[in-house]
Amino acid sequence: MTVVQETTLATEAPALAQPETQDLQAAAARAMIVFDNVGKVYEPNVVALEGASFVIEKGEFVFLVGPSGSGKSTMVRLLLKELEPTSGRIVVGGRDLARLRRSKVPQLRRNIGCVFQDFKLLPNRTTAENVAYALKVQGEGGNAIRHKVPEVLGLVGLTHKVNSYPDELSGGEQQRVSIARAFVNHPPLLVCDEPTGNLDPDTSVGIMQLLYRINRSGTTVVMATHDREMVDKMRRRVIALEDGRIARDERRGGYASE
Amino acid sequence: MLAEAVRSIGANISTTVAATMTVLIGMFLLGLFIALGTYVLSWSDHVKSELVVKVFFDRDVKPAQVEAVRVKLDSNQQVRKFELVTAEQGLEKIKKQRPELFGADGLPFNPLGPAYTITPIKAEYTEPIANSLKPMPAGVHRVTYGRKTAEKILSVAKVIESIFLIAVLVLLSASTILIANTIRLSIFARRREIEVMKLVGATNWFVRGPFMLEGLICGLGGSLLAVILLFVGKEAALPSILPRLDSGPNVNAMGFWAISLILLTVGLLLGAAGSGLTLRRFLRV
Repeated sequence: MTVVQETTLATEAPALAQPETQDLQAAAARAMIVFDNVGKVYEPNVVALEGASFVIEKGEFVFLVGPSGSGKSTMVRLLLKELEPTSGRIVVGGRDLARLRRSKVPQLRRNIGCVFQDFKLLPNRTTAENVAYALKVQGEGGNAIRHKVPEVLGLVGLTHKVNSYPDELSGGEQQRVSIARAFVNHPPLLVCDEPTGNLDPDTSVGIMQLLYRINRSGTTVVMATHDREMVDKMRRRVIALEDGRIARDERRGGYASE
Repeated sequence: MLAEAVRSIGANISTTVAATMTVLIGMFLLGLFIALGTYVLSWSDHVKSELVVKVFFDRDVKPAQVEAVRVKLDSNQQVRKFELVTAEQGLEKIKKQRPELFGADGLPFNPLGPAYTITPIKAEYTEPIANSLKPMPAGVHRVTYGRKTAEKILSVAKVIESIFLIAVLVLLSASTILIANTIRLSIFARRREIEVMKLVGATNWFVRGPFMLEGLICGLGGSLLAVILLFVGKEAALPSILPRLDSGPNVNAMGFWAISLILLTVGLLLGAAGSGLTLRRFLRV
């Protein structure tokens, strides 16, 4: 259907990311995400992001860290084309977002699973219906829904809560539903904006394990987070933001620079 | 999509009821006004059409004198048509209208002369036409045009027409605003839902469809209820009112089914367009 999906489910090991030595054009075609000198200024003149450049390869697991207001959420929203950058270029799955027509934005979003701090579940739908909605949006029929929803709910370990409404679930369970919804299409890219921000440490570990498993299946995961402990434990690529600038980009970094 | 709309109506029953009631009230009033308004307009038209100028000739008028008046009327731009009523026809007419005036054996002779009944192009022209026959030509006995009645009728009709127009405009815009507001409230309550839908990759129409269908159903429901209420009102109230209204068979309100059709259409459009337009603002996520 889309470029992103065709290139998707490659399960090969992630290529080494060496953005500074790579030719950007070639990288853009292969990489999952390319930020090329991206800036974002909110009206009237709040600089949220400035000169951000990096390449994220397919299959990577990347943490975006930094204090509140450092530009993490702005980055996530730019990826979803919820916002337009003030300057620079963003390529997701080989598609230049600036050249993506508004009518194609839904297609882009169907290829990016999103997980948010506040879960963003539809309150008047059950677990299964919330997950099924992501499929219905793409015009999937009842057969696919009956088949895929239990499968992904099994993956996140919520088979017993299929008919519960969000307000009957704990925070961790709600986040699992939202991950199930994000992953039910098997998108090539999963973007998480502080997915453990509202959860206690033990629950967070469960969520992280889930994201790790999803990443292992070949999905690129980009996660904005405050969770110092988690980042230090996982030892994955870390892109640190400070006041809208990229302060650090390490292949196996910790939350703070060492 | 229908299933989505129905479920959302069920889930948001209070706003649905509010929107339906708003449509109901608006459409009920609109229906009432259309019925009343068209009735009054038709009445004023009817009365206006009865405004004619009558030229009565003497009983012993000469044909040449009648001909002279005919020529005069022929050249008058304000006259739509005129009709010669012979003495015999005049008598027949009176006999039909007031049979009690005539005994069993009738009259010994016909007291009437011939007459012209002149219909003006516009009701407002009755007076100028009458004036154009002054001084009265030879052989003419009398020229009448119901001066006072004509003036009164014309001014009343003018007032009624403008009041009707203003009322319909006010009513339509009021109910549009009311309905748009109700819909906006219900959508505002669900803007988070819309945001989530968009983030999951729903197209605008996928989000909008169920909402519009919901608006459509509300609009249809409201106007249907209004039609039922109007029908009940008509059946209950009209029989006791109608006989008191002294109007001829030519005076009629717009047909009930035509009004119902208008109400249903307006209700439907209002519901669908209202929710569709209001949504636009929330779809920019």
